[in-house]
Amino acid sequence: MAHGFLEVERLQKSFGGLRAINEVSFSMERTEMLGLIGPNGAGKTTLLRLITAVLRPDSGRVRFKGKNVVGRRTWDVVNQGIACTFQNMRPFRRLPIIANVMVSCLSPRAMKRGEWVKRVEAKAMDALEFAGISDMALEKASTLSQGDLKRLEVARAIATEPELLLLDEPFGGLSPAETDLMAQSIRRLHKGGRFGRLHSEGPAMIIVEHKLQQLMKIVDRIVVLDFGTVIADGVPDEVVQNEDVIKAYLGEGGI
Amino acid sequence: MGLLGFYLRKAYTLFKNQILVLPSRTAVLLFALALVCLPLFTRDPYLLRILIFTAIFAILAASWDLLSGFTGQMNFGHALFFGVGAYCTALLNLRLDFPPWISIPIGALGAVLTGLIVGIPCLRLRGTYLALTTLAFPIILMGVVFAIPDITGGELGISGIQRLSHSRVTDYYITTGLLLILGFVMWKITDSKTGILFHAIREDEVAVRASGINTTRYKLYAFCLSGFFAGIAGGLYAHIMRTAGPSTLEVALSFQIVIWAVFGGIVSIYGPVAGVFILYPLLEFLRILPKVRMLVFAFIVLLTLLYMPEGLIPWIRDHIEKECPRCKIRNVAFRKECRVCTARLD
Repeated sequence: MAHGFLEVERLQKSFGGLRAINEVSFSMERTEMLGLIGPNGAGKTTLLRLITAVLRPDSGRVRFKGKNVVGRRTWDVVNQGIACTFQNMRPFRRLPIIANVMVSCLSPRAMKRGEWVKRVEAKAMDALEFAGISDMALEKASTLSQGDLKRLEVARAIATEPELLLLDEPFGGLSPAETDLMAQSIRRLHKGGRFGRLHSEGPAMIIVEHKLQQLMKIVDRIVVLDFGTVIADGVPDEVVQNEDVIKAYLGEGGI
Repeated sequence: MGLLGFYLRKAYTLFKNQILVLPSRTAVLLFALALVCLPLFTRDPYLLRILIFTAIFAILAASWDLLSGFTGQMNFGHALFFGVGAYCTALLNLRLDFPPWISIPIGALGAVLTGLIVGIPCLRLRGTYLALTTLAFPIILMGVVFAIPDITGGELGISGIQRLSHSRVTDYYITTGLLLILGFVMWKITDSKTGILFHAIREDEVAVRASGINTTRYKLYAFCLSGFFAGIAGGLYAHIMRTAGPSTLEVALSFQIVIWAVFGGIVSIYGPVAGVFILYPLLEFLRILPKVRMLVFAFIVLLTLLYMPEGLIPWIRDHIEKECPRCKIRNVAFRKECRVCTARLD
């Protein structure tokens, strides 16, 4: 049987009495760009955490390229080709920005794929170049603005050269101009190719985002979560017409 | 002849541009030279003995910095590694007649094993909980030592160990030489790629994992490396004292290490070394005031930390050097422009 690229089956996760993720199932293809939306507290971030094995689900399965993800260590999952960014950015504040990215470049996956790159710094620099913050490479991470921290998160994630990239609010805290730039880089990354010493596999992506207008432009499919369940799944134009989605965002009789 | 001259000139240029250009590097060089040359001027046995112990404890404090300063695994029971190193070395020397140059490295390997044994249960803990757990281990081992006096000598410890060498000056050169070499090795480790991962683990462990790094492995590396260097210090101590007793496992020693390291400035390797070289002789010197010795000592440490919260050495370094705002290279404080990128320094 041919395995799908990413398959999520009947995933469940509760925090105390709160059921954050309830019987979520979906699957995606290697070339897809998936948008994941939903009101606050719908469980979007939790779902990403479950896919990268930062959290362990109560039941259900996540399979990546036919291999089970549930119960494995986060670093194993990352080295298999899933990279994620954090919504609340978590840089190593007292390290220079370049060192932040070098940590990712030192992961076994990045080392194996970039063997011809003798200098890890050079590769880290190209990741920063791609994200657009290479001019600040030597500053401490604590001096960065919110927008630049977002870019740092992206640079850190792509430095592992993932096949599936999970972006948690990549446009959060960015100005409209910066948002356009970031959207452009995301599209460029998805096409794949070589950016200096950094190689992009043209990763499939799951993007969690509240700025729907921007999101609609770059994704080919949208999954809507509400109270931990999938309420809609389809191409962007269909999803925005969907009554359940409108109800979830605006409330009963909202229009 | 011309070729020799070329290399000599090249070496001189390197020396001038890499070492003499920064006061901190010059200070390290002078410190090393002073240590090496000291026995040429005085052979006072009391002074040499103090410096021998200072060197041993400097290795110990630097190894604590590797684990707790760099990797952020707060260890309040670092005497454990020291004690295991001392006891292993003593037993190997006494029972199996191993000479010091074999017993000390093997004793240190014993401490590495201890690092693994302690490290594995400590993997899940951090912060205060980790500190408390590590504090317990040397106390447990002390209980074991008292429980089997046939092997460990109980409260008296193991005595009758071979001397490190036959003269005090040789002892001095062995210990200070090891301090300089091991200090350099530790500094190189923290400066390497592994060092970056240690830093990153201290800052945010979850983010390191999400970058695809096996944090368990690197935390255990840190425990083992730190244990190895502390074990060597313990082995040296056993051979100098010619006994290995329960005092090497004392809680007081564990706290001494923390005080030395924090006083000198953690996350630097050279900070703790300098801390020991200031505080240990100071405590000896204060014997001229036997009644208020500890009080004065505590007062000095407190005042220093009050006004230099990052430790003494980083404070001094920040005052004699400044960082170029553009290229982040360090420069002597009195320079007007950066020595590399010629940006203005203000």
